[in-house]
Amino acid sequence: MKTLNLKKYLTLTRMGIIESLQFRIGTFVMIIGNLLYLTLVYFLWKAIFASSGTDRVNGMTFYDTLVYLVLATALYGFMEMYTVWEIGRNIQSGKIVLDLLKPIKYKSYLFWSYSGELLRNFICVFLPTFLVVCIVTHGAVPLGINLLFFIVSVIMGVIISYNIDYIVGTICLFTESIWGINIMRQVIVLLLSGATIPIAFFPEPFKSAVFFLPFQAVYNTPLMILLDPAPSLQTTGRMLALQLIWCLVMTVVSNLFWRVSLRQITVNGG
Amino acid sequence: MERKTIAFYWKIYRRIMIQDIKSKMSYRADFIISTFGMVATNIAGFISFWILFQNFPSVNGWGYYEMLFLYGFSLISITPVQCLFDNNWSLRINVYSGDFIKYCFRPINLFFYYQSEIFDVKGLGQLFFGIGTLIYAWYKLSLPVTLLAVCKTVVFLTTASLIMISMQNAAAATCFWIQNSFFVLDLAFRFKDYAKYPMTIFSPVFRFIFTFLIPIAFIAYYPSLVILRPGEVPLLSWLSPFIGCLFFWLSYKLWMFGAMNYSGTGS
Repeated sequence: MKTLNLKKYLTLTRMGIIESLQFRIGTFVMIIGNLLYLTLVYFLWKAIFASSGTDRVNGMTFYDTLVYLVLATALYGFMEMYTVWEIGRNIQSGKIVLDLLKPIKYKSYLFWSYSGELLRNFICVFLPTFLVVCIVTHGAVPLGINLLFFIVSVIMGVIISYNIDYIVGTICLFTESIWGINIMRQVIVLLLSGATIPIAFFPEPFKSAVFFLPFQAVYNTPLMILLDPAPSLQTTGRMLALQLIWCLVMTVVSNLFWRVSLRQITVNGG
Repeated sequence: MERKTIAFYWKIYRRIMIQDIKSKMSYRADFIISTFGMVATNIAGFISFWILFQNFPSVNGWGYYEMLFLYGFSLISITPVQCLFDNNWSLRINVYSGDFIKYCFRPINLFFYYQSEIFDVKGLGQLFFGIGTLIYAWYKLSLPVTLLAVCKTVVFLTTASLIMISMQNAAAATCFWIQNSFFVLDLAFRFKDYAKYPMTIFSPVFRFIFTFLIPIAFIAYYPSLVILRPGEVPLLSWLSPFIGCLFFWLSYKLWMFGAMNYSGTGS
């Protein structure tokens, strides 16, 4: 029975890949958009470091900051799943009733339907960016055992990010509002995860506070593990452990919240 | 056919707007949450701005309050596109489903009627936030408060807002040819983030692109130079009102050209 289970999920992945390949123009425009965004990041931080007078600010050089932000953008481009929109739309249109009746948990159904897109984004967005960064900066990204830890960390990041999305999507059951909630989630995650400005730059009370939130485990932790010039098993292990704790906590919370909220659901027609 | 006057259009606009606001108010929770979302976006933008300047005293000769001025200016000048032209986001859906044909049968300007249908109230939060930021920066920079300066600001803000509007119009109009214009619209919308930085940080090639090809330098940088650094105003700053109008006219023509070639879906 085990193989049959896996097949069910992989079929959804395959469907997602086929579906996402339909929108080639979309992918193309998305890549251009990301490139333009990266030019802004490049020039902005170059100007900032040029006028600061020192090479190193908060222990980060211009190149460190740039590599961090480029990879954070690439990670964001690959992990952003638009699941909140999907949940919200399904609630508004009533389609969610059909999905709830499927012989698969809604949460896994949604995740695996998006996994195809996730895979495509990994190959089309993250991998090329990563290779370019590796080649251009030759040496800024240490290549070694940390790659393995990085992959583990990214997978956990995806899980945490998906659970945050799922909690936010569940809130839509109550509010039937999508745009406002989603935009709030997006700005909070982008700011507090270090994707806009590296967390190392945050002023003190703020910086410590951010480390008690799950958001930094989405982008900051994988990047710290990847870019650490002198990694020690102890620090890496501690970061991964913290991420694992967040994974478990967020999964439990989102499952519980969903179960409680489902009693609340009202579907118009459908 | 007699030409309709501006008063006539204003009357129609007001009626449609009131209906739209009424229908929005019936989803009160959504309205309140969306307004919160808008405010949260602005606060987050401000926080990242603030964090940046906690670490660095200035960027390329631009101090904190000058950058804040640019930031406030760009926030205000992108408000009209948020409030008045939000229906551009639904254009692709209307075109795809065939609903767009209903707009073609009204005896008023097609573009006007389409855009007037939605008035996005939540953009007003951004407007107030922007005005607050601008006034604060103005005060801290101890710029002179004269009638002329205020008039200049209003004129340059109004024309600067046309740039963002025209970019959204042009981006939305692509759906007449490529069906799914969401990504183009989203891309054009993200350009607003570039507007709040001084153009001097870019290399000459990009400065050229952002001035003449994708005119985002006119959203905040060139117009605010007139107020911020009256000693060294480049010619482009004085030209910015005309450039705003020109781009708006071009985007309107493109939009109408697409709409006129629209053949419906047959339903």
